[in-house]
Order: sequence, then C-alpha cells, then structure tokens
Amino acid sequence: MNVKSFMECERKSLEKMKRYQLSNKFKKIGMGVIIISVVAFVVNKLSIENIDLKLTSKYGILIGLLLISISKEKIEDELIKSLRMQSYTFAFIAGVIITLFTNPIFNYIANLISEKQQGNFEGVGDWEILWILLSIQVFYFEFLKRMNK
Amino acid sequence: MKNRLKIERAILDLTQEELANKIGVSRQTISSIEKNRYVPSTVLSLRLSSLFKKPVNDFFELDENEKANA
Repeated sequence: MNVKSFMECERKSLEKMKRYQLSNKFKKIGMGVIIISVVAFVVNKLSIENIDLKLTSKYGILIGLLLISISKEKIEDELIKSLRMQSYTFAFIAGVIITLFTNPIFNYIANLISEKQQGNFEGVGDWEILWILLSIQVFYFEFLKRMNK
Repeated sequence: MKNRLKIERAILDLTQEELANKIGVSRQTISSIEKNRYVPSTVLSLRLSSLFKKPVNDFFELDENEKANA
C-alpha cells in the first residue's frame, strides 16, 4: 500500500466516522429509556421490590441521553448542524466550569439523587460529569432550536 | 450580512415553507436567514442563486463593518 492509497483509506474511514448520527426515531427510544430508568430509580428509591436497580437506572439515563443527543432531527439541515455544534461546544465548556467551580453543590445534589451519603461533599464522579454534559447539550440544543423558530 | 431573501421570495410568490422545500432545508433555516440570525453556507447560497436566477451578490451583501474588515 503506497502513501497515497493509505491516505485515501484514512480519509474514507474519517468520513465514515462523521456519520455517527442515528435516525430521528432513536430520539423517542432515548426518551423511553430515560422514562423507564427514572421509574426504575423511583422503584429502587421507594424499595417497593427488594431489587437493586441503581446501576440499571444509571446506565439507562446515560444511554437515553446519548441516544437523544446523537439522533438526527426530522430535517437535519445546515442550520441544525450548526446549532448542534454550538450546543456541544457550550456543553463542553459549561461542563468543565461546573466541574471546576460548582463541584460541591452539584455533587451534593447528585449524591442526594444517587442515594449516596447525604451531605457528603466529594469530587464529581464520572457518571455525574457525563450526565451534566449530555443534559446541558440536549437542553441547550432545544433552547437554540426554539430561539431560531 | 444583509440580505434581500424576503423580497426575492416575495417576487417568486413563495412562502417560507415552499422555499425551504425547494432548496432542501427547514422553514426555520429560511426564517433565520431572513432575520439575519444565520449566514448560509456557500452551497445553500448557490442553491438560492440558482432558484432566483440571480448572482449571490444580488441578494446577499456585506454590512459596513464586514466591508471595513475586508
């Protein structure tokens, strides 16, 4: 394989990676996964059944948010792509700022939600950071779409 | 950037929805361009140019600040 064909191969695989988005129906699937996860969380919290659904609800919420985040809109045009990129940028910067400066407050809330020891101010965990990033991205993207109506 | 998209659309007697369908974007995109909230890509500008049968410069124009920085 010469250098030119190797570069062409690399370029093609990079192009494939750009097509990471799922179809619009996955947005509804993502919402369904989040609702089921929240129900599982509430069941776990109320201890109606003697089963541990903490990890399931953790995974569920994260997977649901990811599905919503990477699902296409009904009409995925250049404006939507631009707004999506803005929302990812905003979510990344906001996520870092939140982790750095508002760590104790968010961690306290996250601890309350995830049933850890209440009032324990420790560093933000991986799950919380990912939840925060994806939630900010999803909500900011929706906000930008409404602003451009 | 200033634009005359609304005027050109009115000349062709098209609604935002109809224009959007003709050039393959959403109605929101047309609305955002008309309100100067979004600057379209070269591809979209050329599609509009082809539809209006006019050069891009006829309906898109740099504002004074952008001209000064050119």
